[in-house]
Amino acid sequence: MPNPLSPIVPILDLLGRELKILPATGGAVEDLQHPDQEEIEDVVMTRGDEQIAAFSETPEPDVSNIYKPTPPLFRQEKHLFRFFIDGSIRSYFLATGIEGTRSFPIELAQVGATVVRREDTGQVNVYSHKQKVLLLLPKQNQGISDTLWDKLRKIGKPDFLEIIDFTLPDALSDAKRDPRDKAGAKARSEMHKLEIELIESTDTARNEDTWLILDGSVKFVEEDIWESWKSRSSPHLIGVAKSFRKDPMFQFGQRPSQRKDITGILAGLPHAHRTAAFSADGGKIAFWYVRLREQKELDYPLMGVVKVEIPRPDLSPVPAELADLISRVLVAERNVTPYGLDHRWHCSLYPTHIAEQVIKNRFYSKDVLMGCIKWPKP
Amino acid sequence: MNEAKQVEAIGKTSATDRDPNTSDKFSFWLAPGVIVNPFDIVQVEQVSHEGKSETFGLVTILEHRTDSPTHLANFISSDFGELAEEPNTPRQGTTVANANVLSNSKDIYMPVSSDKVVNFADEAGIQVALGIDTMKAADRIPAGLIMMSNGVAAVAYIDRRYVLGPESAHVNITGISGLATKTSYAMFLIQSILQKTPQEERDKIAVIILNVKHGDLLQIDQRPERGLSVEEMELWERLGLEPKPFDSDKVHYFLPRGRDGLPNCFYEPSPHNVYAYDLENTADKLDLLFAQVPDTYFTQESIISEIREGIKNREPDFRNVHSWDNLLNEKPLFDPQTHSAIREWRGIKGSSIGVFRRHIRRMIKTTQSGVFVDGLHAHEKVLSDEILKIRGGHVYVVDIARLYEHEQMLVFGDLLRTIYKLKAEPPEDRETSPPEKIIFFVDELNKYAPKGERTAPLTQNVLEIAERGRSLGVILVSAQQFMSAVHPRVTGNCATKIIGRSGSAEVMSTDYGFLDKEIKSNVTRLSKGELLLSHAVYRQPVKIRFPRPAYQQQEA
Repeated sequence: MPNPLSPIVPILDLLGRELKILPATGGAVEDLQHPDQEEIEDVVMTRGDEQIAAFSETPEPDVSNIYKPTPPLFRQEKHLFRFFIDGSIRSYFLATGIEGTRSFPIELAQVGATVVRREDTGQVNVYSHKQKVLLLLPKQNQGISDTLWDKLRKIGKPDFLEIIDFTLPDALSDAKRDPRDKAGAKARSEMHKLEIELIESTDTARNEDTWLILDGSVKFVEEDIWESWKSRSSPHLIGVAKSFRKDPMFQFGQRPSQRKDITGILAGLPHAHRTAAFSADGGKIAFWYVRLREQKELDYPLMGVVKVEIPRPDLSPVPAELADLISRVLVAERNVTPYGLDHRWHCSLYPTHIAEQVIKNRFYSKDVLMGCIKWPKP
Repeated sequence: MNEAKQVEAIGKTSATDRDPNTSDKFSFWLAPGVIVNPFDIVQVEQVSHEGKSETFGLVTILEHRTDSPTHLANFISSDFGELAEEPNTPRQGTTVANANVLSNSKDIYMPVSSDKVVNFADEAGIQVALGIDTMKAADRIPAGLIMMSNGVAAVAYIDRRYVLGPESAHVNITGISGLATKTSYAMFLIQSILQKTPQEERDKIAVIILNVKHGDLLQIDQRPERGLSVEEMELWERLGLEPKPFDSDKVHYFLPRGRDGLPNCFYEPSPHNVYAYDLENTADKLDLLFAQVPDTYFTQESIISEIREGIKNREPDFRNVHSWDNLLNEKPLFDPQTHSAIREWRGIKGSSIGVFRRHIRRMIKTTQSGVFVDGLHAHEKVLSDEILKIRGGHVYVVDIARLYEHEQMLVFGDLLRTIYKLKAEPPEDRETSPPEKIIFFVDELNKYAPKGERTAPLTQNVLEIAERGRSLGVILVSAQQFMSAVHPRVTGNCATKIIGRSGSAEVMSTDYGFLDKEIKSNVTRLSKGELLLSHAVYRQPVKIRFPRPAYQQQEA
């Protein structure tokens, strides 16, 4: 059986011939993902939302009590969330390329996204899946020459393999300075693109009784999807973030005493309760926090809490009944937990974990990759 | 055909870094809702030099695996031990079946690739898997029915050439009492052998059966009073056998004489013969009586040898020795005139002779069932003389159920020696040649051929049959509760082994080394009527069912 990644060989041959290559130790080094990548992404995506001063809930919550009980509502009573989507990434540093006086990293990433659908029995099946292999190179004045880039583009490639210029602007990679970090952030952007494609694949299946949960923030880099949601009263999806920025301040009035930090708010959030819904991104997003697990079960007050985001394309506040329903159903999702498999087990949603496993199990192994990494001898 | 395969598809093979498929084993996961049990036979597509081949596997053990790394993770996932908690999404898990490779349709023993669709084998597939398809039709003996979880059944045929010779021989049945139904199976197998043998060949096979408990085997020519159930009848039919007792005109019962001269048995079949032992006909078998008597310095053996030769050659010392009484109370072992033991005889000290006399008195006089007589009545037979006259096509049942243990040893050894003698040196006065094959069934083999350092004369006789019986045409069908209690050279020479339910300590002994660890654990779970069949032709043992015997059985 031929190596499925063999189409990359002529590309690396060309790079080997045209560039001076300093191979990575052992041929390829897997880039370790930052443990709080989602939190970093949240900071980038919610830039400008450091101070939260408005609710996005109707009727408007009482400032003196922003916690609402949301006892679990199990699937047997209300099976609201049928689709769960996650994306995953695995990237490798292959070499440092030197062309003239410019040196730059050559990175390879596998990105994938999967939607799983949960049946009435609770069993989940893969609804749709996409994955790509990306060769990440810089093209601008710190990277590959135009001539070599043209040669690279002319090499025939299968659909799953793309050569990406990681210097092209986007919100995630623009926030990075180090070229390898930039390449990694670009790969994440590409992963989000796959997620968007898969969300769109569920468009016809989603309705008021059939919602989708997205792992992370709903504020995508791609604006197109927001445009598509404007035509709907609700996109029938939420984003559930296990990790989120810990620095926003909540201002519930004019006086300094009415100012609270997120730690204070979440430390007081009882089990199976939600906070009021707040407004972000100029009202395009309503978000709130839900405590899935009792604090006594956990080490730290912020553990066991998820951040829920719901797109409000029409800038309308979220009805309290809807936020209650979503929160109650989420509390019922707390089990099964991937304890021992994911350090964020306390706020993981198991179907999302399954979607992540589907992607990771479909990635090519490092052994397959190493079968293709053969730089020409100097 | 593709449709049919889809219906039967049950899962896919799975090879992992830690758990690879090999030439001997492979694993496969099961599709949801599929039910598979140990001993099911499955088939997987395999490569071949031309076209494709099929690899067959025997399921040995099933495991359910989930993505939970620890039990603690499951506890936490149940809301920290909340019993009523039912998760919205059940934990991901699958059942993985491990299978031992039975065979390949084109003799290719490459490891099975991963992600190949696994199907239940059909009836024809099962026969290919076990190598039955290569047996000649005339050599096939139904040994039981293989019943799979999907309802498919196939007859487990064993090869006549490996049961009756010449390739190999002997059958051993083991398993705990009651559940393992050893005697019933032995009788079923003998029936099967006889029914599947053409008439002219059948007339050359004699069967000798020892009845060791109750009246179990004393009505084998009688139809069962309560009849057989429909299921049992169907089982007989599926095996291609007729549910009938042994032919009355060809069954001969030999019952031991009791103290009152009447047969000493649990049930008195009609007609029957009564056998007994007088000194003259027992003198050359005295060593069998002493099978369990310790004899460190072989003094007892010397005395027995002197007596045997003395009586046989009518030596002057034994002029007055015609009966057991004479042996005990007359010269040469006792002085009736002085009423005292002799001091020395032929270099053997009086004390040793005293020991011999005490043993003989115990065995022949005080604790005897009546089978020893000073003189035979006209209707009382000498068993060995009768056995020397056996004919092919006939069944001889010798009852020893009510005999004392030393008497049972004597009868068993007597039969064994007589059969051996009949086949090795046929008597000149026989009008017809001896049967070509003699099937000899004995239960409680551990009594007669126990495992141990010391090999008693009786054990030696059993070993002779086990090791050389195949060439002589003497086939031992034996049974016992614990194979580990039997001399390993006896069981080792049995090409067909049947294992009923056994305890875990028993199956862990080295005697069961031919079974895989996983199969051993299944042996402890076999239910009544289920047996494991290990046959020389099969690469792996299979689980079988067999019908109840179609003759009257006496309840315990």
